[in-house]
Amino acid sequence: MTATAATPDALRGGPSGDRRRRGRLGRDLLRSTPLLPAVVLLAIFLLGPVISAFYGAFTNSALSGAAAQGAEFIGFKNFTDLFADPDFPKSVVLTFVFLFFSAVVGQNVLGLALALLMRSANKVVRAIVSTIVVGAWILPEIVASFAAYAFFTKEGTLNGMLAAIGITGPTWLYTFPMLAVILANIWRGAAFSMLVYSAAINDVPPEITESAEVDGATGWQRLVRITIPMIRRSISTNLMLTTLQTLSVFTLIYVMTGGGPGTNSSTLPLLAYKEGIAFGQLGFGTAIALILLVVGALCSIVYIRALKPEVD
Amino acid sequence: MSLALTSPRGRGLRVVSNLVLVLIGVAFLLPMVWLVLASLDTRATLTAKLPEFTLDNFTQVLTPENAWIPLGNSLIISAGTALVTVVVAVLAAYPLSRYTLRVNRPFLYGVLFGTCLPITAMMVPVYGLFVALDLLNSFPGIILFLAATSLPMAIWMAKNFMDSVPISIEEAAWTDGASMLSTLTRVVVPLMRPGIGVVFIFVFIQAWGNFFVPFILVTDPTQMPAAVTIYNFFGAYGAVAYGQLAAFSLLYSVPVLALYVLVQRFSGGSFALAGAVKG
Amino acid sequence: MRPAPRTTALARRAPKKRVLATLAAIAGAALLLSGCAGGSGDDGKTIKVAYQKFGNFIQLDKHMKKVKAEYEKANPGMKVELVPIAAQETDYFTKLALMNKSSSTAPDVMYEDTFQVKSDVDAGYLAPLDSYIDKWDEWDQFFDNAKQAGLGDDGKTYGISMGTDTRALWYNKQLFEQAGIAVPWEPKSWDEVLDTAKTIKQKLPDVIPMNVYSSTAQGEAASMQGFEMLLYGTKDTLYDTDSKKWVTGSKGFTDSLQFIKDLYGGGLAPSPDQALDKNVGTKVGAEWLPQGKLAIALDGSWMSGTWLEDGSAPWPEWNDVMGQAPMPTQDGDDPGSVSMSGGWTLAMGSKSKNKDAAWDFIALALNKENSKSYDIAASQIAVRDDVSKDPEYADANPSFAFFSSIVPVTHFRPATSDYSKISLNIQVAMEAVLTGQQSPKEAAAAWDESVVGIVGEKNTTK
Repeated sequence: MTATAATPDALRGGPSGDRRRRGRLGRDLLRSTPLLPAVVLLAIFLLGPVISAFYGAFTNSALSGAAAQGAEFIGFKNFTDLFADPDFPKSVVLTFVFLFFSAVVGQNVLGLALALLMRSANKVVRAIVSTIVVGAWILPEIVASFAAYAFFTKEGTLNGMLAAIGITGPTWLYTFPMLAVILANIWRGAAFSMLVYSAAINDVPPEITESAEVDGATGWQRLVRITIPMIRRSISTNLMLTTLQTLSVFTLIYVMTGGGPGTNSSTLPLLAYKEGIAFGQLGFGTAIALILLVVGALCSIVYIRALKPEVD
Repeated sequence: MSLALTSPRGRGLRVVSNLVLVLIGVAFLLPMVWLVLASLDTRATLTAKLPEFTLDNFTQVLTPENAWIPLGNSLIISAGTALVTVVVAVLAAYPLSRYTLRVNRPFLYGVLFGTCLPITAMMVPVYGLFVALDLLNSFPGIILFLAATSLPMAIWMAKNFMDSVPISIEEAAWTDGASMLSTLTRVVVPLMRPGIGVVFIFVFIQAWGNFFVPFILVTDPTQMPAAVTIYNFFGAYGAVAYGQLAAFSLLYSVPVLALYVLVQRFSGGSFALAGAVKG
Repeated sequence: MRPAPRTTALARRAPKKRVLATLAAIAGAALLLSGCAGGSGDDGKTIKVAYQKFGNFIQLDKHMKKVKAEYEKANPGMKVELVPIAAQETDYFTKLALMNKSSSTAPDVMYEDTFQVKSDVDAGYLAPLDSYIDKWDEWDQFFDNAKQAGLGDDGKTYGISMGTDTRALWYNKQLFEQAGIAVPWEPKSWDEVLDTAKTIKQKLPDVIPMNVYSSTAQGEAASMQGFEMLLYGTKDTLYDTDSKKWVTGSKGFTDSLQFIKDLYGGGLAPSPDQALDKNVGTKVGAEWLPQGKLAIALDGSWMSGTWLEDGSAPWPEWNDVMGQAPMPTQDGDDPGSVSMSGGWTLAMGSKSKNKDAAWDFIALALNKENSKSYDIAASQIAVRDDVSKDPEYADANPSFAFFSSIVPVTHFRPATSDYSKISLNIQVAMEAVLTGQQSPKEAAAAWDESVVGIVGEKNTTK
């Protein structure tokens, strides 16, 4: 990680830099004006909803009925109801299962494997396979979700292929909904990890691996002892980014299983949508969303910690 | 010792790598094959199979109501979002890249934090905000919201691209007394054009594919983007017409696939996106 | 984040001016367009009409288009903006509520389910129509129960009924004959229904014996066509009208869920993944029944609308193939059979800027001629005296006589604003039983708990 470009103003004057006429504060203020549009946009459209979520989660706001006219402050009732609802702990567990298997394990391991395999592969194979893998990532999420649905559904391609070799496939989306959405999310997101790891491995100086090879290290040893330690920062960043992306996955599960059967694949975003929007209990849904936000915020803090030297 | 690279073991590794890659490639391709085959099939089902060839699915889908209006709406939303995002992000990136300001650190932390917010979690309050500001069904409203959600990543990318523009060229402009804005627009922006292109396309692709935001914020059928209307093929028109669903999916996906090819040409390598966002 | 060497190289490459210029041009044009495409006329000269158009239900869309043309012709200078909402029932309520919440999107006229009326009156979405119906000479033509269906808790009228419906068993006579079951079929109890389904399963293994909507994906259809058709045939009920309390812990509730379990657990129904598909309603009408894949459907009187010439899946032979039987009570107790009635209304949005125009549209859409043509096309049971007596209506559909004949045994859903929430929890209970996640007892207990949570302990009774 190289530092940001050398900051010039310590040595020279800036664009309008006549330091003597204005105080440092005034100059800094002027220099930070280009940040203003970004600050305004982020404040209104990101910070605003987050703050209102903190309020909304404590009201009985609803889409219909008397509470739709005037929502009342109801204290922690949404949260006590939520913790009493068996769907909630189940949803939390499902969310972590989904995060762990599809993001932490699936996308990262497959992404790294793909990046490594690409290095020792034939040029044509590499070009074709990386195009296919990236294609699944570039497809609009709703299209990718339909494709995954068609693949896993009872009369879908997967069972069609199994039938061709004489196996009657199960109803994946009904019997193994989590497995199906996890596999689909790996399929959808592996490209991102692959790209990140390919770029990172490219930056490992070839002399290091070569000298290790001269010393007789096997491919596996080179991977574990040299490559992985060299790209560990990319690994931690990528783990965070894929985790956060996966935390907010909604469309894929919504299209494939709708969170069902029952609540068997209702991760937190699905539960928040079902309770908040489909069932019209805006306040209750916001309470779930707030918990999701807090989980995201905790992840962010870990992520920022990991990146700290870069910001300083 | 460089012989080791061409040793039998090395060649074995190559064969195994190729084989495994091909297998993974096939596995990744299978779900997508259905889209293509079903779109060309008179009797499309959910299974990928050789089609009874027809282009009817496309001709049936390619009507103003079914395709052109939603795709046009998608274009307005995505291009508007990308433009707003790029302008705002480049502006913000300049002081972040060029000066040491006391606001830089809190701002960058804030931006990093914003990158991580699960947007799905915020849709209920966002909907409330849109009601309060009377922005439902308004393209500018959706564009500004999507721009705000893409800004954190875009600012990071823009800052990185700007960092790589050598500072020496700007010095001449500074000594000529050019203002910050004119230095930015006349000197820096032209030099980082490819980077700006990458950011634009990156944001465009994300906005184009976004389903949940317009799903909640647009109620007027004439203003819905393709991401939302595509869902209608999934049962709203009677029995699900899988062929038409697949055909429309392809039409809707082609622009972003094309843009991705474009971004590769811009950056001279397929890894620019990831290179720009990686830590 | 780093300025990788790659990106430095990238910066040095010759700028691709043309591509960038094109992108800028596209974006610029897009912004211009977005400016122009802003909100449509809020000048009181345009009335916005929101309604559902989904799956096999295309008749209302046709009706609205026709009324729009008539209205615009009769009122020069006025415009009607139709907003068909392509969503199945549950999502339709959500979308409609989302629209109603903001004054810029709130419709002037909306297609409103009778059971949502009270809840939406409480929410302040609907405008009272009393001052209009007082002056409307056709109001006398509406049957009393249809008038009641549009009342809010405050006793004012908020919705004008478009038609009503009843529910019963549709069965495929050809399949019954193949399975050796006597036609006409007249089951006398739940057990007879289940026995028939078992016979079909045995004789015709490729046929789905019976469909009863049972999952949250089907929304109100599961509560009403499914669960309540069972519960109201037991000795228990859902809501005690006299004490105004919800009935919890009843045997009838558990028994009704047990019926669902017997049906799905016994393989007498669609497979669970089919049953959870939100499109199962479309499939039943457009595919399974016409193609002889389903023998019995517990469904609505409007079913045949799909099969008419103008319907979404025309089936000229439907009347020869399909028979109807009343749904029996649990053990055949009096009155022997049961039905549920609902129906939809046209209602006026409280945020309408031109309420007089909105009313004119409603009155036009539901005058005698238009009510008649809609009731025929959508297979609705007429709620206007003049329509029901019109021979053109009576002769239009051979199933009308049957479905009108079960009106004496029909029930209405509890008319309270809490019903919609409680109904959602019924669907949750059904789905838990259908998927085997809970036993009927457990699901009923969970439902009891949720009802207490919604209305409070004091508003329930055992």
